[in-house]
Amino acid sequence: MLAVKMLIREIRNGDVLTLLFALILSVSTVTGIDLFVDRLQTSFTVQSATLLAADRVVRSNAAISAERVEYAREQSLEVAQKTSFSSMVFSNEGLQLSQVSAVTESYPLRGSYLIDNESFGVGYEVENGPKIGEIWVSSRLASLLDVTIGDAVFVGEKELVIKHFLVRDPGSTGSAFAIAPRAVINQGDLVATEVIQPGSRARYSLLLAGDEEGLNQYEEWVTPNLQKGERWRTPKSGGQGVNAAINRAESFLLLAGTLAVVMSGVAMALASSRYVRRHLTQVAVIKTLGATPKKIASILLSQLAIIFIVGTGVGLLLGWLIQEMIALSLASLLSTVLPNASITNLWLGFITGLMSLLAFCLPLLMRLFNVSPLTVLHPAGKIQLKSLQLYIVALLGMYLLMVIYTGGVLLPSIMIVAIFVVAMVIGLIGFALFKLGRQLTSGVVSGWQIGLASLHRRLMGNLFQLLVFTLIIMLGLILIGVQSSLVSDWQKQLPNDAPNHYLFNVQESEVAQISDIANELQIPVNEWYPMVRGRVFQINGQEADTLIIEGKEEPELLSREMNLTWSNTLGEDNVLLEGEFGSDIQGLSIEESAAKEINLKLGDVIGIKIGGLDYQLPITSIRSVDWSSMRPNFYLILPQSILSDFPANYVSSVFIEKENVQSFYKKMADFPTVSMLNVGDLIQQIQTIIAQVSQAIQLVLFFILSSAVLVLNASVRASLDERLEEGALLRTLGASKTLIRQSMLVEFGFLGFSAGVIGALAAELCLFGLQTFVFELTPTFHPLMWILGPTTGFFVVSIIGLYAGKSVLTVPPMRMLRSL
Amino acid sequence: MKTNLAIKTQNLTHTVKTAEEELTILNDVSIQITEGESVAIVGASGSGKSTLLGLIAGLDVSSSGDVFLYDHNLSALDEESRADVRGKYVGFVFQSFHLLPSLTALENVMLPGELKGDKEAKQKATEFLNQVGLSHRLQHYPRQLSGGEQQRVAVARAFASTPKVLFADEPTGNLDSDNGKIVTDLLFGLNEKQGTTLVLVTHDQGLAQRCSRQILMSSGRISEPTPLVEE
Repeated sequence: MLAVKMLIREIRNGDVLTLLFALILSVSTVTGIDLFVDRLQTSFTVQSATLLAADRVVRSNAAISAERVEYAREQSLEVAQKTSFSSMVFSNEGLQLSQVSAVTESYPLRGSYLIDNESFGVGYEVENGPKIGEIWVSSRLASLLDVTIGDAVFVGEKELVIKHFLVRDPGSTGSAFAIAPRAVINQGDLVATEVIQPGSRARYSLLLAGDEEGLNQYEEWVTPNLQKGERWRTPKSGGQGVNAAINRAESFLLLAGTLAVVMSGVAMALASSRYVRRHLTQVAVIKTLGATPKKIASILLSQLAIIFIVGTGVGLLLGWLIQEMIALSLASLLSTVLPNASITNLWLGFITGLMSLLAFCLPLLMRLFNVSPLTVLHPAGKIQLKSLQLYIVALLGMYLLMVIYTGGVLLPSIMIVAIFVVAMVIGLIGFALFKLGRQLTSGVVSGWQIGLASLHRRLMGNLFQLLVFTLIIMLGLILIGVQSSLVSDWQKQLPNDAPNHYLFNVQESEVAQISDIANELQIPVNEWYPMVRGRVFQINGQEADTLIIEGKEEPELLSREMNLTWSNTLGEDNVLLEGEFGSDIQGLSIEESAAKEINLKLGDVIGIKIGGLDYQLPITSIRSVDWSSMRPNFYLILPQSILSDFPANYVSSVFIEKENVQSFYKKMADFPTVSMLNVGDLIQQIQTIIAQVSQAIQLVLFFILSSAVLVLNASVRASLDERLEEGALLRTLGASKTLIRQSMLVEFGFLGFSAGVIGALAAELCLFGLQTFVFELTPTFHPLMWILGPTTGFFVVSIIGLYAGKSVLTVPPMRMLRSL
Repeated sequence: MKTNLAIKTQNLTHTVKTAEEELTILNDVSIQITEGESVAIVGASGSGKSTLLGLIAGLDVSSSGDVFLYDHNLSALDEESRADVRGKYVGFVFQSFHLLPSLTALENVMLPGELKGDKEAKQKATEFLNQVGLSHRLQHYPRQLSGGEQQRVAVARAFASTPKVLFADEPTGNLDSDNGKIVTDLLFGLNEKQGTTLVLVTHDQGLAQRCSRQILMSSGRISEPTPLVEE
């Protein structure tokens, strides 16, 4: 086939290779990032699942119906059950109200129990819960009951033997308000305890695990007919702190992928325009040899198809290898193994390849179909390559790709507007700069003059190049900016000394004593909050029960008895969004998401039942709460005047270093009624995820910046022919190497520097938009970018330019002129 | 139309629009060239020689008037059909050679045959390169050849498609006199051997004088055949 034959000949010449490389770059970058993001997401889901002890959970206030279990089995899902309840646990020495859970053999489906044989030990992992006749108790419960391993205790009517100390119960780490010390028994012993009677308050969980398809099938079946008191839990519905981190990381990686799309688009367009420019005359010559426009079109399109197949194929393969490498290097850093990449995700790379060729290459190539054969006689009859139409098609293609990539329009729109604005600004600033440069140096005969004069002479070409340089530098800076502000924001959010224990059930008289103990051990204690139980029963006079929509999840505010507090100042992790907050305000303050869930606004009146008394209070403020701060936080904050009449328990959170844990626990044994919840594991999990994400985005950043340099290189080379010709001419006219080198340095350096300055400005503006709208972070100023942009621009562009143009200094001018 | 007439133009006029005015490049040109003839189109720069060549070779369409290449009225054909006609009847040699840089000498000469799907393209190309004395340069790329050698490759390429009419635009314009002579000898030798009609545009008086006839162009019109006017 002629097209293949001609393509192979072209490849030897290098022009097709440039195009092919650009395509490979674009496909592999997008594929690599996409596959990697997918693996990270799966990994996050897996990690979150260990917090849930399953992939999905149906939680209910009533016993799980057989139908629910049956359907799960039909979908080939793994099933486990857990029943949690409060009960007295008795020993010969005493009795203690405990939070007991009874689990089936297969529990947990995800994650593991942490147990120990030493009281207050750090624990080791086991896959399954206690056997029949066994009970595992927390060290605190054991010390309250004064029992140890091998002793017998009673749960209700059933005698059980303590087998281990329970350190961590998977699936319970997230429920921060479980107050009593914990114990776990086998579900097989549950009936014998006779604790669960009709009307008993217990929480039943049906845990499910299996493949996505089965889980989704189950979700579709169960969610429309959830009964009152039933909830559908997914890994994403818990652990808000983790989710925020993951969502932002996802946004970042998507952004990175989007920028990769833009960059490879630029690379494709550059390579294509160079290809087309160099082939104008060639196509005209072939036409004089009798090739019809149809024939030309069929040859070029077949070649494009071959380039597509080869480029996309290699790109996909390379993308796969790249993400595999990133994953491997991450695995060694974090000793975690990411789940395997899925082949089905390769379609995005495929689409990218196709769209890149359609948007960036085909429109240019089509110009070749219509080249007049007369071009061979009149080179002046060359077609115009730069036209509005081409830019519109390219921008449209880029936008479409970004929309496909991000699955939304916000990020792509910000990027396209940015590119557009940058183009406009560059048109103006660049024009003025080049003009000014020319004027400043008029009359001076030096490399400076020649360099600046060339900038002005090839105004349109240089402005276009300035645009490309600026875009690339801007994109690089945006990524660096977002990455550093994300990472520092995460580190700020969960510092190493984030509270890792909650203290509950503290009586007012004990607050000072416990604070003293903590001080003695140099353990920082956060603010103490009084806690009173209450229940929302009315909203604007309407009964709460009537507001719960059948089949939908119960709103947080209405679903249960909740903890209320009073406070005269807002906690540091709270932000007042609307209304007023303070000691003299006679209304309640509500958390943002709880308010949104049932469309509450300032002035709405909420009826609350506390200790048998009803109160009607207007909403006087709405706050946002950083749930990932690990400090006690409340959906509702009431006026002190109301709550101070009720007996309150106090709650606080502390950070205890590992070496202090034992001694603090031992001192706390003097306060048997105080409950402690260790959330250290949860925090560590979040920190691991954050570290993982930070590492990942740094690697991706490095990856993208490397491709940015490649694109810069392509862009410099695209403009080289004309420059080389000029240099060769200058040399034949007797110009010294130094003069030419100097003039090239001035030209490239000036372009690079200007691109850096404009790029920094544009990046600063984009970052403002991205931080505000996409990442929801506080916008910050980035002084580093203003140094990094211009210096990188100057050095990288000059070095690439001088290196690529060095042939003009070494090759005899005659040969140089002839080869062009 | 008689078959021994290779080219005929009737009242050929060509104008181009510029920003200010409409420029008439060719004005009412009527010529006839018989098969096997060798014709030199001469005239000062800007007199319309190359435009005339482009029109009669079917590279462009005139604003008005007709061009017949054998039985084909080029003015009435679209680019698709004109390309077909070019492939069948026409060969070109250009001043700046216009070899494809990514192809070797052999591949350049094979190209016309390959475009027609000729299975013997390679063999024929080798033969023609042999005839222009470049059998030792088959695998060289244009950039590895001297100007004279490149033009000889171009000549071989032009004759490889066994054209009925060979158009040459300043074929010796970029060559020194020795190489110019070699190329000229080749053109006329092959012309004679294959019975090709030769139409060339040139400033080279020697080259023009070897042709059987000269057409002198002046300001877009045909003047009487006179000795060449130097620029």
